[in-house]
Amino acid sequence: MTRIAELEPAPQPRMLRVLTALTALGFLATLYLGLFVAGTDIEQGEIQRIFYIHMPSFFGAFTAFGATVVGGLLYLARKNDAWDRIALAGVEVGLAFALINLLTGSIWARPIWNTWWTWDPRLTSAAVMCLIYAAYLMLRAGIDDLSRKRNFMSVYGIFAFVSVLTTLFIIRIVPETIHPVIVGASPQNAQGSFEATSGVVMALVPSLLLWLTLMPITLMWHRYRLETRKEASDRLMLQALSD
Amino acid sequence: MKPTRIALILLWLLLIGGGVGGSDHEAAVPYYRASGFNVPILEGWANQSGADFAQFALVEAQATIRTARVSAADGLAAAQSELSELLGLDIGQPVYSNKVNLADGTWQVLVFDIDDATTASVMSRRADSEHVVITFVERNPAARIVLLTTTQADDTLEDAAPEIATAVEAIAGITMNELSPAENITLPSGEWIVYASDIVTAMGMVFGNDSYMALREGEPGDFAALADAYNRTLLGFFITPDNSRYLALGLAAVFLILGTLVFSFGWRARSLRQGMELIEQLAREED
Amino acid sequence: MRTPFLKCALAIIAKDLRAEIRSRELLSVMALFALLSVLVFSFALELDRAARAEAVSGVLWVTLIFASLLGLNRSLAQESDQGNLDALLLAPVSRSAIFVGKFAGNALFTGIVGLVLLPLMTVLYGMNTLHTGVIVTTLVGILGFCSIGTLLATMTVRTRAREALLPIALLPVALPFLLTAVRATKGVLSGAPEWQVWLQLLAGITVIYLVLCLLLYGYVVEE
Repeated sequence: MTRIAELEPAPQPRMLRVLTALTALGFLATLYLGLFVAGTDIEQGEIQRIFYIHMPSFFGAFTAFGATVVGGLLYLARKNDAWDRIALAGVEVGLAFALINLLTGSIWARPIWNTWWTWDPRLTSAAVMCLIYAAYLMLRAGIDDLSRKRNFMSVYGIFAFVSVLTTLFIIRIVPETIHPVIVGASPQNAQGSFEATSGVVMALVPSLLLWLTLMPITLMWHRYRLETRKEASDRLMLQALSD
Repeated sequence: MKPTRIALILLWLLLIGGGVGGSDHEAAVPYYRASGFNVPILEGWANQSGADFAQFALVEAQATIRTARVSAADGLAAAQSELSELLGLDIGQPVYSNKVNLADGTWQVLVFDIDDATTASVMSRRADSEHVVITFVERNPAARIVLLTTTQADDTLEDAAPEIATAVEAIAGITMNELSPAENITLPSGEWIVYASDIVTAMGMVFGNDSYMALREGEPGDFAALADAYNRTLLGFFITPDNSRYLALGLAAVFLILGTLVFSFGWRARSLRQGMELIEQLAREED
Repeated sequence: MRTPFLKCALAIIAKDLRAEIRSRELLSVMALFALLSVLVFSFALELDRAARAEAVSGVLWVTLIFASLLGLNRSLAQESDQGNLDALLLAPVSRSAIFVGKFAGNALFTGIVGLVLLPLMTVLYGMNTLHTGVIVTTLVGILGFCSIGTLLATMTVRTRAREALLPIALLPVALPFLLTAVRATKGVLSGAPEWQVWLQLLAGITVIYLVLCLLLYGYVVEE
């Protein structure tokens, strides 16, 4: 009965537990900085604080989707299943972050632009990005053969990244976007209300670093372990059925 | 390198980032921020602001510009209560009253001649359950200064000449023919045109579809600087919007999505475990 | 000994053409669909002339893309169902040659539909869509769309719900083509000079996608 022993989930490595704790603490700390330490923007009001999550969450998605591309390329090169699991973890975590980015942006736009949504190039591109990665998950679920699935999804993950780059650089291509380029350079600073927005950098930089590194890495690691267990369980299930 | 060490370095970067960002905290404050409104701070004026009102005085011109929120039934009552608080006098009826639609709402424009020396120009508008009142008071016995805002009769015009003509007639009772030809001056608040005679100086500028005007009878003094300061206050005034409910909504969305993600990890792990238990059971039954 | 790249690609194109000339299965379905779609849009958008001029480039591209989806599905399904793809893979043939062959066939059929569609729309919508700019944009857009379309159709044809999965997988990835092509077409029709920028952008994306497809196609067909 050795194979049943495999079923017990491997205990979480100490490193993962440390990372999880750090991520949770860091999330609370950056939330505290953004909500209580940074000053209120005198022109936009309290809603401006959502920016401390809105922009970092996009960069979190960038990290996660970047991991999908790297995982896909390395899987195609080395055929090591682990890379494909990393790619999948990147898509799920990245999609959640991209949704956070989209939703917080929409909620910010309501009081500031007086509309929930507008077909601005950057907004459109961000929405398309979410659709592509949702399509990734659907396509993946539709392929039965495991090695074919890994091949196909590696290729699709590489193509999908074009949408991430488009969202990032669309301001250079289509300059008619109304999306602010950098909030720090917006007119209220030119007018000189810097004190009111002081702490922008102080709240933004830690949040950016957290979402760029700890958040995606920790979540993806958990997702990776889950996928490893799922694949093992599928294998065993198949064995048990064929016995 | 050990992973734990990398994590520690990341955390350290986080803190450093915070420290660097926080260091430029001591920037100049060109805006006075009270509860519920913001006005530019007037350089060279004595700052007499309190916790809930902004007040700037130019002592040599005996002029005061004050902004505050007042609870009152209407714009007139708000203006009267503001003036009596500022001057310690009973305030009568205005000599001029008008309404003007600006970008941020309908303002009531009022002018009071309080005593021989004192004239007050007031802009007042409703803000939630209260009124915002921006007051200009001059107590110089040698001059009478009135500041007005009206909607442009013809918004294609780029100067305020027609509105100045109307205002000069209403306030000083003279016609434009008695004034010298227009002269242009540039002040921090914008491009003004100035008309003058021996006893009256009138100046005005256009912003949006409205004309902002200043009239003076008597000694010139720092007239242009006073008009400019009042206009900077008017144009720079704004109320920080209250949208904290949207912030709460945004945070709820963030927690909802992250929560769903983490919950789905847990849920899927649980159903895996259940599936495994089933296999285990089957295997045991087989044995 | 490998069959030379070009010879192999040409052989696949010739095979597809011969099959099409005999059965007329693909082109007739695509052309009929395109005709119906343009008619349906013209009834659905019973608008005044100005609004119609606005909609014309959108109608053109939506029609082309859906017609192309039909063709892609059928073209790859034929290969897969009759075991032809497996046979091709066994032959000493470069994977990218297979891609070029299938891609060229698909682009050719969609291109024909596009060229038939343009005069038709000129008649139905009262807009002169037979402008060189529109024709070039149409052909470049079709090239780009068919490149990623061929790659993804090769994938989805071996999935469970293949007809349903192709649009889901393809449409979002192909949106850059749709966006730039619609802008370029609209620009030409309304006489806006920036259509050339959009066409350049479209051509740039097409080149990027073509290169990526050529490089990655091997991984999609290999077992």
